[in-house]
Amino acid sequence: MLSSIIRVKRYVWRDWLMSYLFLLPAMGFFLLFVAYPMLKGVYISFFNYTLSQFDFVGLANYKHLFQDETFIKSMRNTVMIVIIAVPVVISFSIFVAMTIYRKSEWLRSLFRGIFYLPAVSSVVSITVVWASIYHPNYGILNYITGFFGAEPIAWLGEPRTALLSIILVLITTSVGQPIILYVASLGNIPASYIEAAQIDRASSGQIFRKIIWPMLMPTNLYIIVITTINSFQVFAIIQLLTSGGPMYETSTVMYGVYEQAFMLGSFGLASAMGVILAIVIGIISIIQFKYLGSDVEY
Amino acid sequence: MAAKSKWLALGLIMTLLLTLISACSSGNGEPKPTKEASSQPEPTSQPSEEPAKAEPVEITWWNFPSYQTLDGEVGKYEKEIIKAFNEKHPEIKVKLEMITFDGGPQKLNVAIATNSAPDVIYDAPGRIIDWGKKELLAPLDDMITSEVRGDISPALWKQSMVGDKTYMYPINTAPFMMAVNKTVFEKIGKLDLLPLDRPDRTWTFEEYKLALQAVKENAPDVIPSGFFAKSQAGDQGTRAYLANLGVSRFLNEDNSAVAINTDEAAAALDWIVQAQKDKLVVGGSSSLAAGDVNDLFLQGKLAFTINYSAVLKAQNVPNKKAEFEEVLLPFPTLDGSPPKLEPYLGGMAIFNNGNDAKIAAAKKLIDFIANDPEWGRKNLIQTGGLSARSSITGLYDDAEYEYAELARQFITDPPTIADGFAEIRTFWFPELQRALLGAVSGKEALDAFAAKANEAIGKAKAQS
Repeated sequence: MLSSIIRVKRYVWRDWLMSYLFLLPAMGFFLLFVAYPMLKGVYISFFNYTLSQFDFVGLANYKHLFQDETFIKSMRNTVMIVIIAVPVVISFSIFVAMTIYRKSEWLRSLFRGIFYLPAVSSVVSITVVWASIYHPNYGILNYITGFFGAEPIAWLGEPRTALLSIILVLITTSVGQPIILYVASLGNIPASYIEAAQIDRASSGQIFRKIIWPMLMPTNLYIIVITTINSFQVFAIIQLLTSGGPMYETSTVMYGVYEQAFMLGSFGLASAMGVILAIVIGIISIIQFKYLGSDVEY
Repeated sequence: MAAKSKWLALGLIMTLLLTLISACSSGNGEPKPTKEASSQPEPTSQPSEEPAKAEPVEITWWNFPSYQTLDGEVGKYEKEIIKAFNEKHPEIKVKLEMITFDGGPQKLNVAIATNSAPDVIYDAPGRIIDWGKKELLAPLDDMITSEVRGDISPALWKQSMVGDKTYMYPINTAPFMMAVNKTVFEKIGKLDLLPLDRPDRTWTFEEYKLALQAVKENAPDVIPSGFFAKSQAGDQGTRAYLANLGVSRFLNEDNSAVAINTDEAAAALDWIVQAQKDKLVVGGSSSLAAGDVNDLFLQGKLAFTINYSAVLKAQNVPNKKAEFEEVLLPFPTLDGSPPKLEPYLGGMAIFNNGNDAKIAAAKKLIDFIANDPEWGRKNLIQTGGLSARSSITGLYDDAEYEYAELARQFITDPPTIADGFAEIRTFWFPELQRALLGAVSGKEALDAFAAKANEAIGKAKAQS
C-alpha cells in the first residue's frame, strides 16, 4: 500500500517537474528578453544614463518630463492618435466585414487579401508610398485636389493636416487584421439566431445591436486592446514621414523615446518616457478589460 | 522508451537554454565611461610599435558609406582595403561592418552605451569630437608626424581635437556649398546671371534673387530654389545658407553662444518664407528633408540646391535621373563679402575599448588608409573628396574639383564641435518650421532657437 502511494507520489512529482522543465525554455526567453529588459528599463529611468554618465537621480527624469512642453505635446498627440484611430479602425473593419462576409468565398478572399496586404507589407515600403502621395509638389493627393481647384497643401508640413495625415496612414496599415478576425467571427454566429430574429421582424439595426454585436464581443475586446496598444506605439510612420514635425505636431511618446535614446543618448530620460507610456497603456488596457471583458460571451 | 525520449528532449532543451544564457551574458553592464588609454606613449613620428612579435589581433571597423561603392556593392571597396592592408599586416584581422547614415548613429549610441563599440570608425567631427569629450576615444597624437601636423590647416585640426589631444585623424574634406543646374540657365539664355565668369564664383544676395526670378519667369516647370526643415539631416545646408544670406555666424567665435539671431539673418529667413509663397523656393519645405530637395535637383526639377559638395556630387552620380550639368557655387552673401563655407571633414577615430593591442592595430589600419603610398591616394579618390592635407592636390581631372580646391579658402570653422551640439541641432529645424509656417517671424524663430541652444551649451559645458 505504502509503496504504491510512494510510486504515485513519485510519478506525480516527476510529471510536475517535467511539465515545468518543459516550460523553462519559454520562461527563459520571456525572463531574458521581456521581463529583464522591462525591469532594467524601470531601473534605468531613475538614472542620468548617457554615453558617459550613470548617476542616480531619483525621480528627476520624471519631474523633467512632466515640465517638458515637448513631452506633454507628444503625449497629447499620442492620445489624439488613439482617440481617432481606434474607433475608426474598429468601425471601418466591422463595416467591411459585415459587407463581405455573406459574399461568395472568392470575393471574401479577394477583399481580405486587399485589406490584409498592408499588414503583411513592410511599414517602410508603405510609408515611402504615402510620402510620395503626400509630396507637396509632386504628390498625387495635391494632383487630385487640384482638379477641384484647391491649392497644393503640404499635407505633412502643416500643423492642421500633419497629424490627420499620419492617422490616415496608421488606419490603412491597421485594418487588415481586424477585418480578417471580424469576418471569421461573423462566420461563427449561427445563422439560426439571425433567421429567428428576422422571423420576429427585427430590423437590421436591432439584429446588429442585439445579436451580432454581443456575439462579436470576444473579438472586439482583442481588437480594441491590440489596436489601442499599436496606436500608442506608432513610431515608424512618424519617423519616416515627419520626424515629429512640423513644430512637434506629430511627435509622439514613442518617437520621443527614440529621439532621446538613440539620437541624444539620454537613455535614462528615454526609459522614463517608456515607463510612463507603459503605465498609461496598462491603465487603459485594464479599463478596456473591465468594461468590455464583462460582456464577453464565450 | 517514452520516458527515455522525454529525458532526451529535455536534455536538448536545457542545452539550448544554457547556450542562450551563456551567449547573452557577455557582461554588458552600465557604461564605463572614463577610460583613459591605459598607457599613452610619448609622441613619436611613427605609429605605436607592434606588441611582442606580431601577436594576432582582431579589430572591428564600422564604416559609414564613406567610399563610393565598387560595382554597386556596399563594402566591396573597404574589403579591398582590408585585403591590401593584410598583405602588410597579416597578423591583424579586420572585421568590417558597414553602417548607414540613417541607422548608424543610433547603432553607435547603443553600442557605446553597452560597451560594445567598434575599435575603429570613419566618421566626421560632429560625433567624433563628442565622443572625445566624453573620453571614449584613444588619443592619436603619437601617430601624427610633424609633417602631417604641419600639412593640415589649423581649421581642420580644430575639428579633430579636444584640448591638446587629437581624436580624429583627418583624411578627406570638401566645402559644403550650393549647386546649380547650369543647363536650365543655358536653355533660358540667362547664363550671365550666374557668377561663373568669376574665378571664385562669389556673388551677392541680389544677384541670386535675379537668377531665381529668371528661372521662375522662363522655366515654369523648374522650381527655382530649395529649402528644407523636416529634420536635422543636412542641417549644415540651412545653417550656412542663412548665415551667408544674412552675413552672420551660426555660433560665436569660441562656440559659447548662438550668433545667428541677428537682424540680417532674421531678414534672410523672412525672405525665404516670402520666397516660398512667391514660388521662388520649393513649397512645403517644412516637410521636406535635405535628401528630398537633392532628389528634386537630381531629377532636374530644381535649379538650385543648398546642400551640396564635391563629395555629394560624386556620390550622387548613380542617383541622377536627368541629363544636366551641375555646377558648384558658394552661398551668396548680403554684401558681396567672401562666403563662409562649412567643411565636410572625414576622418578616423579609435574607441578606447581598454585593449592596447587593438588600439595599436587600429592605428596601423588608419595609417595605412591615410598614408599608404599606393592606397592613400586611391582611398581619397574613392571618397570623392579632397585631401585634408594641403600638399595633396590635383586628385581629379575635373573643373568642379578644381573649383572645390579653390573654394577651400572660404572654409570656416563649423559649429559641430561646440559643447552640446547634438542637442543644439534638435532645436534648429523646429524653429525653421515655425518661421516657414508663419507661426512666428524670422527674428522670433532665431531668438527662440538662441535661447534654447544657449541653455544646451551651458548645460553641456557644466557637465564637461
